[in-house]
Amino acid sequence: MVKCVENQIPLRIVLAKVGLDGHDRGVKVVSRALRDAGFHVIYPGLWQSPEAVVRTVADEDADWLGISLLSGTHMTLVPRIVEMLRAAGLDHVGVLVGGIIPETDVPKLLELGVARVFGPGTPMAEIIDFLRAHGSRTHA
Amino acid sequence: MLDDLLARFGKRDRLALARLLTLVARGEHLDAIRLALAAADSAASRPAPPVVALTGNAGVGKSTLVGKLAEYLRGQGQSVAVLACDPQSPLTGGALLGDRVRMPSRPDDLGLYIRSLAAVSGNQAVAEHVELMIRLLAGFGFDVILLETVGAGQGDTAVRELADVVVLLVQPETGDELQWEKAGLLEVADVVVVHKADLAGAERMESQVRELLTLPGCREITVLRVSSTKQQGLAELWAAILACPRHDARVGDARALLRRAQQVLAERFADRVQRVGPVVDRWKRHELDEAQAADELLQLLIR
Ligand SMILES: Nc1nc2c(ncn2[C@@H]2O[C@H](COP(=O)(O)OP(=O)(O)OP(=O)(O)O)[C@@H](O)[C@H]2O)c(=O)[nH]1
Ligand SMILES: [Mg+2]
Repeated sequence: MVKCVENQIPLRIVLAKVGLDGHDRGVKVVSRALRDAGFHVIYPGLWQSPEAVVRTVADEDADWLGISLLSGTHMTLVPRIVEMLRAAGLDHVGVLVGGIIPETDVPKLLELGVARVFGPGTPMAEIIDFLRAHGSRTHA
Repeated sequence: MLDDLLARFGKRDRLALARLLTLVARGEHLDAIRLALAAADSAASRPAPPVVALTGNAGVGKSTLVGKLAEYLRGQGQSVAVLACDPQSPLTGGALLGDRVRMPSRPDDLGLYIRSLAAVSGNQAVAEHVELMIRLLAGFGFDVILLETVGAGQGDTAVRELADVVVLLVQPETGDELQWEKAGLLEVADVVVVHKADLAGAERMESQVRELLTLPGCREITVLRVSSTKQQGLAELWAAILACPRHDARVGDARALLRRAQQVLAERFADRVQRVGPVVDRWKRHELDEAQAADELLQLLIR
């Protein structure tokens, strides 16, 4: 595992807004903050299907996938995406979940292979530090 | 690891293609990848796919039009690879790559490949090593390669050398005059698209562009009105692109050589330079035709 040193090889992270939720303010704020922290953020837009997300991650050779979704859909959509990533040979891609996830579901998501769940109001510094600490599992 | 990647690439493994593009974007293993591609190229006798660059100011609709063209071409059964460049922050190295938002999402369609790239800001219109990425995509077998630049700027002259055809997008403006910078940009274009033709002022913009193109020294350039929103003019645009004489691979080298020759000439003949202006002036006043003016200039140099 390599760590992403600032101003060296930037990590590539796909930030996907999955499901029918039409608000992209939050994900745009995160996108800008990650860009300003030196990451390469790939933003494919609203209303992404799990299939579209996986295709984007594959073709963009992303190191990380950040999924933002509405509470209530996470226990169906996240497992599907994780399963599809695995089937596509993309298990090396780290998965983060953002949104209002009930406390009780967090361990379940982590169990599935999600690296971390960030609730609303998580300080950006926490997300940035997490990504910097974990770097890329893609490139040795 | 690289050998394994290249072997998988040879078997048309899409993940291997994606990873090789990443390596190239980072400037890693360039020579080895070039070598492998050269070997593969000489084995296959496929003609090189057309490489079409779309350039123009931020917000003119490059991504949208690339997306519409890609869908049009998919409809014709052609496979399409897109390289979409967005600017990278010179301070942090970070980038927000958002061109995909405007492009079609076709997760089940393996005939469309979209890759977002960060271009170091400054006067570069595209990401570094794009020429090798184009060769990778060609080697993978895509029929057409579309290249979106970060926006119009000085770096566009480099795009001329990368692409077979350069399409410059302009849009109807609220201002009165076509911006002067854009007039300069006409030099790099093979096709000028007046985009967003569904908006008021498109005809006006078209005639302004045509007017500029009648100035002496301009090449033959096709001007077209296109609306991505209304899906109008796409077939015509593609026909115009195909009608452009494709640049030979050696044209780029020849151009570099010419530039160098011009430099050498400029240095050697610095003392006679003041005599060039009057010749050009007489040509502008139509006292000399092009051949006569060229002849006089040559005489200046040979003496
Ligand atoms: N009216 C009209 N608007 C259009 C058309 N095509 C694109 N747009 C709009 O123009 C805006 C910019 O489109 P983009 O495709 O993102 O432009 P771009 O040139 O790729 O922008 P950058 O990548 O930021 O340089 C969007 O709001 C589009 O919806 C069109 O044919 N007509
Ligand atoms: Mg764009």
